[in-house]
Amino acid sequence: MKVIIDGKTIEAEENKTILELARENGIYIPSLCDHPGLAPFSGCRLCLVQIKGKKGYSPSCSIYIEDGMEVKTSTQELRKLRKNILELILTEHPNACLICSEKKECDEHKATIRKVGEVTGCVLCPNNGDCELQEIVEEIGVDIVDFPSYYRDMEVKRDDTFFDRNYNLCILCGRCVRICHEVRGCSSLSFVKRGPETVVSTSLDKRLIDSNCQFCGACLDVCPTGALIEKGKKYESLADDKAEMLCPLCSVGCKLEVNLGEGRLLNTQPAADGPANHGQACVKGRFLIKDLVYSRKRIEKPLIRRKKKLEEVDWNEALDWVAGKLKKYKGKETAVIRSTQVSCEDGYVLRRFADEVLKTGNISSEPAFSPYRELAQKLGFMPALNYKIEEISSAETIFILSSNISVSHPVVWLEIMKAVKNGARLIAASPIELQSNRFVSLQLRIEPGTENILLGRLQKILTGGESFKAANESKVEEKALREAAEILKSGKSPAFIFGSESIQGPIGREVLTKLWNTAFLTKGRLYYLGLESNSRGIFELDRNFSKKGRQIGLIIQDVIDDKVKALYLAGSRIELPKKARPEFFIVQDSYISKNTQIADAVLPAAVSAETEGVFVNMEGRVQKTAKVLKPLGETRPDWWITSQVAKRMGAEAFDYKKPSSIIKEIRNNLPGFAKVYYPALEKSKEIFIKEETSQKGKLFTQEITSLPERNNKRYPFRLILFYSLDSYRNLSLSETVRGFRMFRNSQWIHICLEDADKLKLKNGDSIEVLSPHGKIKGIARITKTLSPGLVAASPEYPIFNNLGLSNGLQVMIKRGK
Amino acid sequence: MQKILDEFGNSQKELIHVLHRVKAKFGYIPPETIPEISRHLKITESEIYGVLTFYSAFSLKPRGKHTVTVCMGTACHVRGGPKILEEFERRLNIEAGHTTEDKQFTLETVACLGCCAIGPVVVVDDDYYAQTTVSKVEPILEKYKKEKKNAQD
Repeated sequence: MKVIIDGKTIEAEENKTILELARENGIYIPSLCDHPGLAPFSGCRLCLVQIKGKKGYSPSCSIYIEDGMEVKTSTQELRKLRKNILELILTEHPNACLICSEKKECDEHKATIRKVGEVTGCVLCPNNGDCELQEIVEEIGVDIVDFPSYYRDMEVKRDDTFFDRNYNLCILCGRCVRICHEVRGCSSLSFVKRGPETVVSTSLDKRLIDSNCQFCGACLDVCPTGALIEKGKKYESLADDKAEMLCPLCSVGCKLEVNLGEGRLLNTQPAADGPANHGQACVKGRFLIKDLVYSRKRIEKPLIRRKKKLEEVDWNEALDWVAGKLKKYKGKETAVIRSTQVSCEDGYVLRRFADEVLKTGNISSEPAFSPYRELAQKLGFMPALNYKIEEISSAETIFILSSNISVSHPVVWLEIMKAVKNGARLIAASPIELQSNRFVSLQLRIEPGTENILLGRLQKILTGGESFKAANESKVEEKALREAAEILKSGKSPAFIFGSESIQGPIGREVLTKLWNTAFLTKGRLYYLGLESNSRGIFELDRNFSKKGRQIGLIIQDVIDDKVKALYLAGSRIELPKKARPEFFIVQDSYISKNTQIADAVLPAAVSAETEGVFVNMEGRVQKTAKVLKPLGETRPDWWITSQVAKRMGAEAFDYKKPSSIIKEIRNNLPGFAKVYYPALEKSKEIFIKEETSQKGKLFTQEITSLPERNNKRYPFRLILFYSLDSYRNLSLSETVRGFRMFRNSQWIHICLEDADKLKLKNGDSIEVLSPHGKIKGIARITKTLSPGLVAASPEYPIFNNLGLSNGLQVMIKRGK
Repeated sequence: MQKILDEFGNSQKELIHVLHRVKAKFGYIPPETIPEISRHLKITESEIYGVLTFYSAFSLKPRGKHTVTVCMGTACHVRGGPKILEEFERRLNIEAGHTTEDKQFTLETVACLGCCAIGPVVVVDDDYYAQTTVSKVEPILEKYKKEKKNAQD
């Protein structure tokens, strides 16, 4: 269709607003409330335009274009009107600086003073220079406000974590309220009261932390004023440069925009063009990257242990010393454990180092990608692992199995929510309620550790078979299950979403087979969530090596039995049991931890923002993260450190100068990475891991034999375990960042009010969860949505594995010391 | 509370009806009912709070047995509305928007009741008092105070 804007004829497609079309064609229309990704609102009235044949003025943000439409965006009349409207907006926003005649001179000579209690002008506002309202005032050209000013004089809300809220600066554009509701599905913010008293607030004006806020920071990123201000950025200078990186903190692989000031990372924001995250992120990517780069725990220089003390040395000395010592050990006496948060380049070099230099089969990645593919292979099929997160939004039915997805993978949750808003039905089979329970159409409250039985029963209903012996153990009513089966059958291609928790432990195999069968019977598709930022990438690398790695538990046991004498730990947060003390212990990592304290050599590695490299996210999407900062101190990328050690041990072909030469080698050797080129990735070309699949249409038989433990009266509680993805390398995020700890702590052990009362426990008391297989120490956290008799914990993963704990275990709770 | 909620479906559209019902039961909306309504109707607490504070019909504070509403609309205003309000405030010893200590009266103002012809208007509960004057304030209050006494006798 053709639309004429300001005399210019524009060829346009349907389903666009006038404002969108104008912006695309470089025609400026001011607007304060419209935002891409949000539904039209027509709140600020600044985008008024004149349409031929229409009386009066129309808000261009909410009028869709029509064929032959003639629009005028900038007549004298409109300019006067906009100026008037803006003046009215400015009456309730401190405007002295905006209209000050000395503004220009002031900008040059006065720095913004940000340590003030009350912001009464731009020079006191932390948003000065980075403010949409300022830009609009500049554009429209207001030099006097003809109406009396009104200062709301409300107390600045500083008692939340991560950001402050100063509603004296708010212009009520509603972007924050709308993004919280429309995009994030959280609705923690709302317009409160009415007329001139209207403010944005929470229920009963509580803190955000008490209002189900997930601190994704989306409101902050859309606010056109300084009303919402990030605490961490308040006293920083303005950004002088921008760059992009990948978030290293979970398997989604969100693309982040990094604001830099004088070479320092100021903050990170989700990038609008992120292929996995589409302009959204979560609390970790939004607020924690800076903390992990500038953590006080960073190790900046190589350390080696001499005379029982760790001393700082230079790289040459450290590397020679480590290489010399390592040479003394024979193949089997050495072991390498690496994190799955390192890049493919790092992982590949570490793998070659173990295979070719140390000549050991003791290599493990922690946490492993998943038992998913391996289990599937054992069963005789190769399910497709690649998918796109955005596919989920068009599903008609979604089945979530025992996963706290809105917490663990919030960006995936957004797609699920989109589907629900489009009318999809969501079934959640889980022992606890999802945090965003109101989107669930059917909740199957299962007992932890009985996922296999539930799915077995579901399969029976779908195939019309008879019930089986163990059927009663899952405690879900037959009626609810039948309803679930009906829902699954009714929608086209249901999406079955599951995390690692449900296929862990003894029931894993049964759960996976039954899940596969259920999906097969309903023509559905399995979506596996993955764990760490590169667990898929490391898995794909290892798959192509002929030698198999070893399970971490076995390696640790060998350390205890003194069979493994030299241990090389790269980036892994695994905590060695007290009995496991290797003779020679190398830690290649970024932060001080329990491991570095007992290490013989500490090789400081650069963190994610300081190195470039390739990561494969949960979708199988290959992405490259850029080096946006100079490595802190003398830290070096993992691949460099490992290859230097290898070289000094006399190995050849470890002469890498830059990571691109490693990726070249990977590309040539490993078929899955055939299309992975740096230049293509840098141009954001969509590249997926090449995979061969054999999805035979077949039901697999699987007896249900694993039943949860019962009737152990000494252990009256049942344990629910969720993975906590809140760590980076050997740094625990909740332990390190106070603001994050207020919001979420991997030490929390959730318990319901009734049980807490019985045990006389209060929020914050230290408690222990004991089982015959191990124990977790933590902090009591009373949770309303938990049923009596259950405790839920999400310890960081290595501890998880060490303790032999699994979902559904019978446990006892004791007050800690 | 659960009984009240059970009268209604889970649809978000029921919010206003639920709030009216809660108000009828308690005389106001006790803040602790918000989470329960939120769970039942699948609306977040903040959204409910937004609706609650929008309508002056709902109050989060306990209300008096009788609600005295003085009209401050233009017509009533020029005919002495503010003086009548002042008299109520003096007699009840509270400011507009508050409730007496004995929980008998809540004093409120309203912008217009639509019956400007008979102004200044005062409404107590469901009774309308037309052409009110300052001297009529005491008798009106006495009437409701008496009711209480009668009930006690």
